[in-house]
Amino acid sequence: MNALDEKLNRFTKYKISEQTLRKFIDYLKQQAPVFAPHHNGEASYSYECVENSAEVVLSYPRTMQPLKKYFLPPREVLLNFNIKDNTFSKPEIIEETRIFFAVHSYEMASLKRLDYSFTQGHVESNYVSRRKYAIFVGISYTPDESHFSKSVGIDVEETEGFDLFLLPVGDGYFLLEITDTGKRLVEGFPGLAAPDTTEIKTEPLQFKSKIKYHHNRLPAVFDHVYKSKVWDKYAEICVGCGTCNLLCSTCYCFDIRDEVDLDAEHGTRTRYWDGCMLNTFAEVAGGENFRGSLARRTRHRLYRKFKYITAKSEMLHCVGCGRCSHFCPVGISMTDIVNDLITDYEEKQNKEKI
Amino acid sequence: MENLAQHAEDLYCPEIATITRVETLTASEKRFEITMPGNRPLNHKPGQFVEVSIFGFGEAPISICSSPTRGPSFDLTVRATGRLTDKMHLLEAGSQIGIRGPFGNGFDPQDFKGRDMLFICGGIGLAPLKSLIDYTLDRRNDFGRIIILYGTKNPAEILFPEEIEKWQQQTDIEFVMTVDQADEQWQGHVGVITTLIPPLELDVKNTIATVVGPPVMYKFVLMSLKGKRIPDENIYLSLERRMKCGVGKCGHCQINDTYVCQDGPVYHYPHVKQLEEAV
Repeated sequence: MNALDEKLNRFTKYKISEQTLRKFIDYLKQQAPVFAPHHNGEASYSYECVENSAEVVLSYPRTMQPLKKYFLPPREVLLNFNIKDNTFSKPEIIEETRIFFAVHSYEMASLKRLDYSFTQGHVESNYVSRRKYAIFVGISYTPDESHFSKSVGIDVEETEGFDLFLLPVGDGYFLLEITDTGKRLVEGFPGLAAPDTTEIKTEPLQFKSKIKYHHNRLPAVFDHVYKSKVWDKYAEICVGCGTCNLLCSTCYCFDIRDEVDLDAEHGTRTRYWDGCMLNTFAEVAGGENFRGSLARRTRHRLYRKFKYITAKSEMLHCVGCGRCSHFCPVGISMTDIVNDLITDYEEKQNKEKI
Repeated sequence: MENLAQHAEDLYCPEIATITRVETLTASEKRFEITMPGNRPLNHKPGQFVEVSIFGFGEAPISICSSPTRGPSFDLTVRATGRLTDKMHLLEAGSQIGIRGPFGNGFDPQDFKGRDMLFICGGIGLAPLKSLIDYTLDRRNDFGRIIILYGTKNPAEILFPEEIEKWQQQTDIEFVMTVDQADEQWQGHVGVITTLIPPLELDVKNTIATVVGPPVMYKFVLMSLKGKRIPDENIYLSLERRMKCGVGKCGHCQINDTYVCQDGPVYHYPHVKQLEEAV
């Protein structure tokens, strides 16, 4: 038995049909609001609050917006202010239990990265309040042409961070109890038979998209490719739209803007997602732009994923969800960039040997 | 997460302070004296900055230009160059203003005890360095020579005329000023700030050089200092970036792997030398 199967087989598990699973969602809804993937048009998916458990999509490649939208909203009022009397109040963030259902392992891994980003140094109350009581039910998935999470060390069946985990088996699922919180939820649900003792045997999943080095070697590659020509190659194609930043599940940069109501008295200090690929991101007062070229911005984006934060957090800050590649309007793929950098690195190493 | 929740902070709430004095310095720069609620001291270090805000006009990072040895209020020198700073220029003494901070690392003047201090200030770069200059003047016996080089584009842009007059008269300060372009009244030195460096006679091993100015200035000043054989480890720079949040989150001020609002704005030169995006 391989290490992954060994780990999965240690959890108590139940066999559950899809029909019962939807009843389980109904049961969860009685405990707390449940958020899960839904169809959003014909070929797109998004996390939404579950109204009807029949509408929850259990098999999907990826949602367009990452789960981070529930912890770092795309638009968030930081302060309500009154211009006339110079007063302000901070909107209350309700610290409530929320259940996130049918979440993929790379998405869970991205939250671990966001946890790091919002709690190292200063601990941000806004993020922590939203994150504190969150419960996660994971589900495995079949990688499509853009997923490459295995290349960054995240298995499809990685259970870390989840309270419960679903593995498809036959015409139903195994429901695995990962944490005590998960166990309590299962115990309260009357629809399950006794724990199942069949042995889990995962089939190694084939990722079409791959990085050609083991992820442990990537920081070393990034030590040598700062001046690579690869950055220019992709800058020539890139249109600088920032989609890769805005859909990235670990990007967390933001802008803060004051917005005034029509009464010219009330307004809000509001935070919006921002992205280092956008032209004005590194501009300072006086107009100087410290990352004026697309090549430098592309480099900055990748260094943030594979080196800068990684050196401190000891985690790659790319989780292989493939959103940046999948939704890039000009078809730039993260794995292509990294593989080109590896080629460049190898050529450099060979030259040094000679 | 629940452990961390105990340390969670409301990072974006300003304190409402009061502007207690406004002084026009040049056509585009004013000095504001700020008093915190209850007249409490800001407890800043020289070289640190605050996030200044006016509701409806946003926030901006502004260097503190007064020394913590003088207080409890503190000074900000503000150039009108954007939404927030333009609005701030319209405010009078008695107006309220939002303050978050102090942020950034600042200088540790105790580390410079007994050393000769060489201040190289370009344009509005004099403002952040003035917090350290005043500190060394208030603890004059702790330091060796105090040499201030100050360059501006033209005489109309000279900041702090009162202080400068004092510095010129004081015998224990060596103050040299230059302008890039003279006007009819100007009798002093003409030329960019780097022209002031070669004539200096310095005990290079014992001299601490601090440099603040517009982005274009650093490269040339650093070359001149190298020409003077001032060791890299004796050089400190303060770098300007768009520190939006001040607390190491928003990403705008990042230079390679360093956040200016956390690890800077004051950098030891051997550190930034490795960073392509720094100077």
